[in-house]
Amino acid sequence: MNDDQETQAAAPAENRTGYSGPALATESKAHSMFSPSRIWALTMHTFTQMVRMRVFYFLLFFSAAIILVAFMFLRFTPEQELKLLKDVSLGAMSLFAGIFAIAGTALLIPKDLEDRTLYTILCKPVPRFEYLLGKLLGMLVLIFVSMLFMDALFCTVVGVREKILVKETADAYDQELAKFPERGQNESWKEQREEALAAITNYGLRWDLQAAVWAIFLKASVMTAVTLLVSTFATTTLFTIISSIAVFIIGHGQHLGRSYFLSGAPEGGFERPLAGVIAIIFPDFHLYDIVDAVVSGEAVATTLLLQMSGMTCLYLLIYTAAASFVFSNKEL
Amino acid sequence: MNDTPDAPAVEIEHLTKVFRVPSLRKQTVLAVNDLSLTVGRGEVYGLIGPNGSGKSTTMKVLLGLLHATTGKCSIFGRDSSQVDSRKDVGFLPENPYFYKHLTASETLDFYGRICGLTKAERRDQSARLLKLVDLEHATDRRLAGYSKGMLQRIGLAQALVQNPRLVVLDEPTAGVDPSGSRQIRDLILALKEQGISIILSSHLLEQVQEVCDRVGIIYKGDLVREGKLEDLISIEDQTEIILKNASPALLEKVRALAAGDSTEVISIGRPRTTLERLFLEETQ
Repeated sequence: MNDDQETQAAAPAENRTGYSGPALATESKAHSMFSPSRIWALTMHTFTQMVRMRVFYFLLFFSAAIILVAFMFLRFTPEQELKLLKDVSLGAMSLFAGIFAIAGTALLIPKDLEDRTLYTILCKPVPRFEYLLGKLLGMLVLIFVSMLFMDALFCTVVGVREKILVKETADAYDQELAKFPERGQNESWKEQREEALAAITNYGLRWDLQAAVWAIFLKASVMTAVTLLVSTFATTTLFTIISSIAVFIIGHGQHLGRSYFLSGAPEGGFERPLAGVIAIIFPDFHLYDIVDAVVSGEAVATTLLLQMSGMTCLYLLIYTAAASFVFSNKEL
Repeated sequence: MNDTPDAPAVEIEHLTKVFRVPSLRKQTVLAVNDLSLTVGRGEVYGLIGPNGSGKSTTMKVLLGLLHATTGKCSIFGRDSSQVDSRKDVGFLPENPYFYKHLTASETLDFYGRICGLTKAERRDQSARLLKLVDLEHATDRRLAGYSKGMLQRIGLAQALVQNPRLVVLDEPTAGVDPSGSRQIRDLILALKEQGISIILSSHLLEQVQEVCDRVGIIYKGDLVREGKLEDLISIEDQTEIILKNASPALLEKVRALAAGDSTEVISIGRPRTTLERLFLEETQ
């Protein structure tokens, strides 16, 4: 390079095409190997990408489904009706969160690779683990926002339905009392009335429902991390989806494998090593199975919630670290 | 490794890349074989070769997308496998699609953010680069509606978003119409005027000839020829004499004597072939 070129490089000026290279602050900044702002940029980008793929349209189906269940099937007892409403709503939340976690995440890396957008990102000063973390967090934000919307709608519908059912039940008792005023003096009738109203309230809107929603979110978060890990070494999106579904299924039986492995079953054969491998590799989804209990009106212990949250953090850490290890050695 | 002021923009030393083919026989493919090259600061280096010759593999190793089997690459003195070496690099891949859900300004904002630009810098860079690549009219249009040429131009803009000192362009004019191709060529020349180092891979040899200072020809993973463009395309065993106002008689004498007394000799040198002809000779 001659002196003229050095001078040009050092003092960029506007030229005939209008290109000039003013010194940016980045030129003097040292490169940071971990940048929360970079990760946040990738997170919000992933979130925007999924939103603009119109994934939120499913919320319309969800809304329609729970409103239908809440107000169209009125042949049950109030408790049954509320139980069905919670069952269907939490089931739908679980289904949508699972679909997002598996199908949405499985698409991310292959699509970036196919469109070569991955090259343009990783050719910037972006460490590969930050790219993965951005993708993971983007999906988690997406699932969280979707669940927030579904939860708000779900609580509103359950709350409204509960109030209607309480009022209808109270009105029915009041009408009975108007017909038979002597029942007002009957303590067992009064107790019966209070019990009926309490049963509805017990099946209605309670804080424990939030525990169930939180458990669904945590489970979907683990599935997102698992799917991301699979997609770092999978060669096709279909393989990623099928493998992740397999992990999801096996994860529900992980506790059985763990129990078998720890039970001191006799050595020999393949059962015990297999149970050990399952216990080590797969997440324990049984831990998150509190929905049925919550739907039945059972209370959820705070320690269980803390345990679930802690285990989820651990799973996310392990699976993301494994994904990062695989991805950092991947030939793109 | 820190940026050393006297280090070349790119230094590739004995790079070999072997791909393992997924099969039971453990087959391998030698994509790049002991390739060494240097790109000086402010130099435009053309990397040419037939499809599958190893150009893109070389570029990917340089950009840290692939790991070298043996050998090493450095960018401004920094090991190119390290992430911080990419602070000064802009890359336009072949046939980029980008994120179709983003508009042009959102695209540049995103790439600016991951390069650590501040909000004000991103805004300024976005406005400046969109003007540079002549996409001001389509700033708020999503890339899904962009033509091929427009995508190449926004691709070039994203490559320049952090004002890199090295720009790697892989087939920047592939699929672009002649007018768009000329526009991109002018942009490359403008970058060259700014002293930005460029590695250009292209099949448009005329364009390579127009913009490159030095050229390397890769064939089956080997760098078969490399050097300054004028040296490469000169025919060494021939001499060219250009005469002005030469009469036919004189030309006869010139032919006989290869010299003239009253005739002005404009230049004497070696006649040149075209880069295209050289390329075909070296790769067939």
